[in-house]
Amino acid sequence: MTAWFSRYSKRTVVIGQVVIVLAIAVAIALIPILDERSFNLQRITFFLLWYAILASAWNMIGGYAGQTSFGHAAFLGLGAYVTGILWSQFKIDPLLTLPLAGIVGALYAVGVGVPTLRLRGPYFAIATIGVGEATRLFFVNFDDIFGVTLTKGVTGISLPSYDPVVVHYATVVAFVLVMFTTMWIRAGRFGLGLFAINMDRDAAETAGVPTARLQVFALMASAFFAALAGGLYAARQQFLDPASMFGFDKSIALVLMPVVGGLGTVWGPVFGAVLYSFVQDQITSIVHNPYLPSLIYGVLLIVIVMFEPLGIAGVLGRGRKYARALLMPKDGEP
Amino acid sequence: MRLVEALISALMVAGLYATMSYGLALIYGVMKIINLANAGTMMLASFTTFFLWQTFGLDPIAAVFIVAPLFFGVGALIETVFVRRVTNENPVISLLLLFGILLVMQAGASFFLGGDVRSVRPVYIQEVIHIGEVTLAYNRLLVFVSGIVILVGLEIFLRGTYLGRAIRALAQDRDACRLVGIDVRRVSMIAFGLGTALAAAAGSLLTAVFPFDPSNPSGVLQLKSFTIIVLGGLESIPGVAAAAFVLAAAENLTVTLSKPQLENLVSFVLLVVVLVVMPGGLAAVIRRRRLT
Repeated sequence: MTAWFSRYSKRTVVIGQVVIVLAIAVAIALIPILDERSFNLQRITFFLLWYAILASAWNMIGGYAGQTSFGHAAFLGLGAYVTGILWSQFKIDPLLTLPLAGIVGALYAVGVGVPTLRLRGPYFAIATIGVGEATRLFFVNFDDIFGVTLTKGVTGISLPSYDPVVVHYATVVAFVLVMFTTMWIRAGRFGLGLFAINMDRDAAETAGVPTARLQVFALMASAFFAALAGGLYAARQQFLDPASMFGFDKSIALVLMPVVGGLGTVWGPVFGAVLYSFVQDQITSIVHNPYLPSLIYGVLLIVIVMFEPLGIAGVLGRGRKYARALLMPKDGEP
Repeated sequence: MRLVEALISALMVAGLYATMSYGLALIYGVMKIINLANAGTMMLASFTTFFLWQTFGLDPIAAVFIVAPLFFGVGALIETVFVRRVTNENPVISLLLLFGILLVMQAGASFFLGGDVRSVRPVYIQEVIHIGEVTLAYNRLLVFVSGIVILVGLEIFLRGTYLGRAIRALAQDRDACRLVGIDVRRVSMIAFGLGTALAAAAGSLLTAVFPFDPSNPSGVLQLKSFTIIVLGGLESIPGVAAAAFVLAAAENLTVTLSKPQLENLVSFVLLVVVLVVMPGGLAAVIRRRRLT
């Protein structure tokens, strides 16, 4: 990604990216103002941003730190249930509980991450599968275990309705926040440390990178935004159940988007989210088989892992390079 | 009495658990990658067994003799075409690749064969055997015995033949194997094929006990086999067998003494706890005892 930026200064690149993020945010924020009745477009853009937030969140731990998490639905679902239960049972405005949802997610990430991130190789990935499923089963059996009526088990909970336009704006804000955070991580010392761990953990440790601490921080940031996205979902959709919130298919989606889009890049997860919501929306309405999208993602995943590890971002970056080579035959000379 | 029955019932399931986990452990031992596609193999083998039973009336246990060699070929093919290219890269890459293969297998099966739940019902499915006061389901006993036979056969192969010893040597030191003239690529391919064949055998066996669909119970069983290989120590084969029994017993005791719906929670919690408390698994704990 950085190769074709190299002739610009780092500051120009960062300012450019900030401008792009803000432009997207403003454009999407204007939708309900320009047309109050554009419910379908609002729904599509909500999910687009929602997936982008989740994918970027996953990318912080999975892409930057190189620790694949197959259980991120745990954080997503946790955030959704925090906001959802506080809204349905205690009538606390979801907007107020969104940060709380994020913080609960981040705290859970500390509990999960401190012991498991010490593990090397594929162990973390396996442990997260266990964490994800255990969290789902915990929420399915929550009422039984504590003898209360809060999560209503597999049937799920219905939430009182909430203004979707407000959630729309909140989602835009969350999107801007998550993008700024991943850009900050990518550009700064923190990201550099994570990349070092990703490449060679022992070497990073020898060089004085606090490997364990940085990884836990990365997981916390990742879980914060995943749980925040969960809260947004609860505020908009008025229905939560463990199968859809904690389901393994959610965890899979969170892996797919950043990997397909471009692991460890700033814009890759966003590309992945665009593609994912497009496939989810369009392909299923053209071909009436609910399994086709998964088949496509599987093939895409194999192709990307084998031929283009940087995903869509890698392809685009390469395209830019070729385009530049065509326009400017002498490399580097404008 | 309920306790004894629960333990014996656990022992029955452990045969199946051990067979499927063995494949995972073998592949990890030799190639140092986690075969996430194991669940997919198991499921496809279940489907193959189902169709063999439906068209030819072939018994699911006998089907192992057809299914296992067939999937040995499938595994060898997957290794040659996909896995071989990524073994030297970051472990994340191979994990994602095999995850992609799993997705293709599961979604492909749902897409082409439909997502319905199927079950193989051989004639003996209702029969039980009484030993003293303990009642055993005949099909479970059969699956247990088959599992034991497969594992003993594998152990003899790994210890007694040149190829088996080469596989074990590869698990210990890849570079040393190259030095003494073992064809590392070929043996890796065979090990991957063997691991896949074991998963397939487990897939055939499970049809005699559980109904199945493209993602169940193979998905949950895969998570359980993670627990088992982590508990058993990733490279210790007797450890795997012991861990299979420990997990099955823990599950059965939860069902008997507490709530049935907590059965699967046990294995996931156990997985996380074991990973954190004793990363080397049971084998490492035993080894440590011996040393001190």
